[in-house]
Amino acid sequence: MQIMRVSMTTVRAFKIRRALVGAAVLALTAAPAMAHHSFAMFDPDHPTSMTGTVKELQWTNPHVGLLVYKDVKAGEAPELWTFETTGPGNLTRAGWTKRSFQPGDKVKIDFLPLRAGGHGGELQGAVSLTTGKAYGKGN
Amino acid sequence: MKFSHGVLLGLFASALVAMAAPALAADDPTPVINPPPTAKDWADMAKLPDWNGVWVPDALDQNRQRVSNPPPWNDKAAAKVKFQGDEQKAGRPDNFFSNCLPEGMPAWMLITHNSMQFAFTPGIIYMLGESDGSRLRRIYTDGRPHPDDPDLTFHGHSIGHWEGDTLVVDTIGVKPQAWLAISESQGVPNNGDMHIVERIHLVAPDRLADTLTITAPHVLTKPWVTTRYYDRTRRRDFDIVEGECLEESFKPDVDKDGYAVFTPVPLTYDGIRVPTK
Repeated sequence: MQIMRVSMTTVRAFKIRRALVGAAVLALTAAPAMAHHSFAMFDPDHPTSMTGTVKELQWTNPHVGLLVYKDVKAGEAPELWTFETTGPGNLTRAGWTKRSFQPGDKVKIDFLPLRAGGHGGELQGAVSLTTGKAYGKGN
Repeated sequence: MKFSHGVLLGLFASALVAMAAPALAADDPTPVINPPPTAKDWADMAKLPDWNGVWVPDALDQNRQRVSNPPPWNDKAAAKVKFQGDEQKAGRPDNFFSNCLPEGMPAWMLITHNSMQFAFTPGIIYMLGESDGSRLRRIYTDGRPHPDDPDLTFHGHSIGHWEGDTLVVDTIGVKPQAWLAISESQGVPNNGDMHIVERIHLVAPDRLADTLTITAPHVLTKPWVTTRYYDRTRRRDFDIVEGECLEESFKPDVDKDGYAVFTPVPLTYDGIRVPTK
């Protein structure tokens, strides 16, 4: 039952989010493409955590991305968060695979927030509440 | 119009000269040939220390060294590094590697968290990095000197020799734009004339030390001696994987004709992904 309710919330979240993200993308597409960034924009002095529902695990170099809908209270706007971590090689050595998280999995994320604010963070650890497996952050 | 045989031959000869002349001008009159390795050359490889496996940089120690043994920056570089540190604390890191150009030397050795492996061959040792596609060093061990006027590259020109079980590597010819970095957001371009000597050796059966002496006269007040460590794994499931720096800037997609292609994805100002549709 719990899982059913979550997925209904997720469906609603998808619809509302489309309009929100559309505007955000328009605002940001002018920025130069950047990858291979430092992790210094994340704040190591204020580690925090949250729970949510996995949208997607982007298994790519140089930084794997875990996209998660944060759990929000009924009536609150949906929040899609992007968590970045090291690349597939290092994550493999920390026990991950490209199948560690599936869309719809419940997840608890420990992360360092963006210093500048925003829905992003550096992943420090992730526990799949669906499978019970815990994953570290790699080298 | 009709040409005599003589005129045709003359034209033909002129054409030959015209074609050959640029090549002759560019060629060294006595090119040095890299000799094919002999059976003894291959047998001698077996006497070298075993550096096979995957080497994982000790990232925690990199962080410790940033504090305990900082480079002897000159005043101008020190001011820039301090500014970068302040900016970082304010949430505005100087992401100077985010353009995906190679980290190059010596930054690759100093700050990467990505693994690497060695390939020993007669005359050349290769260092192959896991990430960023072009992380590759060639260290010539065939006794050649540095070129007098090397083309500058991100990784420079490296010659090496063995002193017992220590590989000594001498590197010049690094592009002035290559960063002398102490993190992915703190450091300065070396600004040219850099010289790096490395002494690489096992300090334990599965721990490798690379002690670098970095002379960078335009940004350091004296040579900087610092050591970086790598730990070995031999697990097959931990083998090096392909890593392309720019891949994150694209997503797998299908074009209108049904072909699998990559299309750009927007990234935020600080380089992380905008949540995608």
